[in-house]
Amino acid sequence: MKNKNIILSLVMVVFFGVMSILAWFKPADSFSDAERRKLAQFPDLSLKTVMSGRFMKDFESYTLDQFPLRDGFRSLKANFALHVFNRSANNDIYVLDGHASKMDYPLNTDSVHRAGERFNHVYEKFLKNSDTKVYLSVIPDKNYYMAAQSGALTYDYGKLIEQLKADCGFAKYIDIFDLLELDDYYKTDAHWMQENILPVAEKLAKAMGAPITAEFSKKTIPGDFYGVYYGQSALNLSPDRISYLYSPEMDGYIVHDYQNDKDIPVYNMDKAAGKDPYEMFLSGPLSLVTIENPEAKGNRELVIFRDSFGSSIAPLLASGYNKITLVDIRYMNPDVLGRYIDFDSQDVLFLYSTGVINNSETIK
Amino acid sequence: MLFSGIPFLYYYLPLALLLYFIAPKKLRNTVLLIASLVFYGWGEPKYVVLMSASIIIGYFAGLMIEAFKKPAARKAVLIADIVINLGFLAYFKYTNFFIENFNSIFGLSVPLLKIALPIGISFYTFQILSYAVDVYRGEVRAQRNIINLAAYISFFPQLIAGPIVRYSQIEAELTERKESFDNFACGMQRFVLGLGKKILIANLLGELCDVFRASGDKSVLFYWLYALSFALHIYFDFSGYSDMAIGLGRMFGFHFPENFDYPYVSKSITEFWRRWHMSLGTWFRDYVYIPLGGNRHGKARQILNIFIVWMLTGFWHGAAWNFIIWGLYFAVLLLIEKLFLLKYLEKSKILSRIYTFLLLVISFVVFNAADMKEAFSYIAAMFGAGDVPLVSQEFLYYLKDYAVVLVIACIGATPLVKNTFLRLRENRICGMVIDYATPVFLVGLMLVMTAFLVDGSFNPFLYFRF
Repeated sequence: MKNKNIILSLVMVVFFGVMSILAWFKPADSFSDAERRKLAQFPDLSLKTVMSGRFMKDFESYTLDQFPLRDGFRSLKANFALHVFNRSANNDIYVLDGHASKMDYPLNTDSVHRAGERFNHVYEKFLKNSDTKVYLSVIPDKNYYMAAQSGALTYDYGKLIEQLKADCGFAKYIDIFDLLELDDYYKTDAHWMQENILPVAEKLAKAMGAPITAEFSKKTIPGDFYGVYYGQSALNLSPDRISYLYSPEMDGYIVHDYQNDKDIPVYNMDKAAGKDPYEMFLSGPLSLVTIENPEAKGNRELVIFRDSFGSSIAPLLASGYNKITLVDIRYMNPDVLGRYIDFDSQDVLFLYSTGVINNSETIK
Repeated sequence: MLFSGIPFLYYYLPLALLLYFIAPKKLRNTVLLIASLVFYGWGEPKYVVLMSASIIIGYFAGLMIEAFKKPAARKAVLIADIVINLGFLAYFKYTNFFIENFNSIFGLSVPLLKIALPIGISFYTFQILSYAVDVYRGEVRAQRNIINLAAYISFFPQLIAGPIVRYSQIEAELTERKESFDNFACGMQRFVLGLGKKILIANLLGELCDVFRASGDKSVLFYWLYALSFALHIYFDFSGYSDMAIGLGRMFGFHFPENFDYPYVSKSITEFWRRWHMSLGTWFRDYVYIPLGGNRHGKARQILNIFIVWMLTGFWHGAAWNFIIWGLYFAVLLLIEKLFLLKYLEKSKILSRIYTFLLLVISFVVFNAADMKEAFSYIAAMFGAGDVPLVSQEFLYYLKDYAVVLVIACIGATPLVKNTFLRLRENRICGMVIDYATPVFLVGLMLVMTAFLVDGSFNPFLYFRF
């Protein structure tokens, strides 16, 4: 009895001692690659911050963010939750056949209406009195293909589409749901794989009367691609590879980033080697980008109101257009669009994923 | 500061233990006092002053009560002490409740006070009051060393969520306690298991309750799942905290009273209240029910006393009508049992437990409701009177999602695991295996709990609001 208690005491003292020393003295990291975010730093210590309670609150965040072996502990928690507690998801991320996805539930009808209302705002302000032809297409998220099979909560995608179509009566809807399947998405990321979406691009282009004429070849970026769900899930998922479709025509494309007022490549290889390789497509989340294709026949222009999925499909659509303008109204107020775009007779495509439509508070 | 937080586990506690054990014996209460004030001030810097004032008033009240010879003078000091301390409690906890009801009754719009409830005020106020009353009754000697008294009242393990430790229960240990490997090991084991109850069960069931509340896909069975989950959540949350408090106290050489004894296996509500939050139940018995006359002045007076005590018990839990109704609900049930039902319940093993658990589950729906309107609507929906289907997609999903946690919680709420271990221990070899596997198990449990904390977010204990 005595020995048992001495051993137990010593083991626990050593455990707490080692963990505490590590916690107290581990140098602070500045960024979490797994979670793709800055980590909290040691808070400002002053009488004012202590008396207001600010220091204590920030210190809590600091200790959580800077805890030694943080990613290992997050992985332990994820595996314990899934395999011991038999939870269906960890932090709402579930896995089916190596594919990870974040549950998006329930259908937020207010959010869908809000998205429709914002699109209507653009239509009323810029498109209504122009000769533009307006199209609407919605990209299903991975849950559409995964949720029912894995038993995760999901909503009626048909309802979302019908509601958005009703709210955007000004636009012709192009259905692309039947052209995609789960394997067209990265296993560890929310996005679709560009090399698999050519049929989608062709359908959109055909519906808008600007068929794709270019011949593409697939190129693969060396090294593994760990998507956003890899870090968030903290599970040991197999990484993806990131590929892109190249045509010699693309060498002549002029891509301009208005946000930073500079020309950028179609496929940014620096970004491909960065923390979020999906940003290689048109350099990632930018508010206003144009792609000019001097080789395109005719004098067609396309304006795409888009989210991040648009970055990878736009280079394919550019084959049929002289100019494509990509607008992300999550990052810029649409009211200022008149300064950059003279809406005349362009094709206008509202192309959004269900994830953004169902969580549209980010749309300005 | 939360016991179930990284700052406490890996910053505060190791440092507090280190300073305590390297300090000379005569300075150890001073170390505990300073550590406790830091602990309290971490969450409520400005309310350290309020608690200190209560301690100083209690200290001088105790000395004066003991020093004065005239009963009237002693009584006057006691009443003054009670009025001041209950005044603090009433002001910070109940003022807005009374203003709201005053406004509602008289159609006025007296503005509410912008005051935050000092953490743990309900617990430490009761400890200070019991000290003064015990000195008045001559059951304990007044503490002459203010450091010792302050260390007792502010002692961080039990400061903010109990158990309500009476001065008489640790008077001797304040000056002559024995720190030992046995105490440390038992305390550490109890603390880690309590932490497990909180982090691995209570927090997850709390999540399920939050999911239910936010759900737009409720159903009759989902209401029942919520009610069951909340009943288990509050038990594991509160008893987990009590285990941690008792364990921490033991590590420093103190023996705190038990606060829970598997209350959900009770065969009656009467038995339940002998097993649930025992330190509160006995406090109300000794300092309210018996002084009111208890059962010594006839049936009618006893019934009145029971109603008063249970109304106050409910009101102690929160300044809202649902807490008062919750307390009175138990008064009614206890009276019914006392008058005729108890003898039948004691004869049954299964039906009586179903009866008790069902009534408890319903009681906690009232307890956790935002107001009585919500409480009634939830209870109505549980019995099919709400406009919801029997089953919903979300119910099925979350039932499956939390099935393992629910099963563990249901089993853990009974003495089954404890009794199994005790039986295994009777075998010498099994006992040895358990003894030497325990440190490994505790370290493993700590790693898993740390993982949940690192991955999770801020998650306060439920009983902090009381």
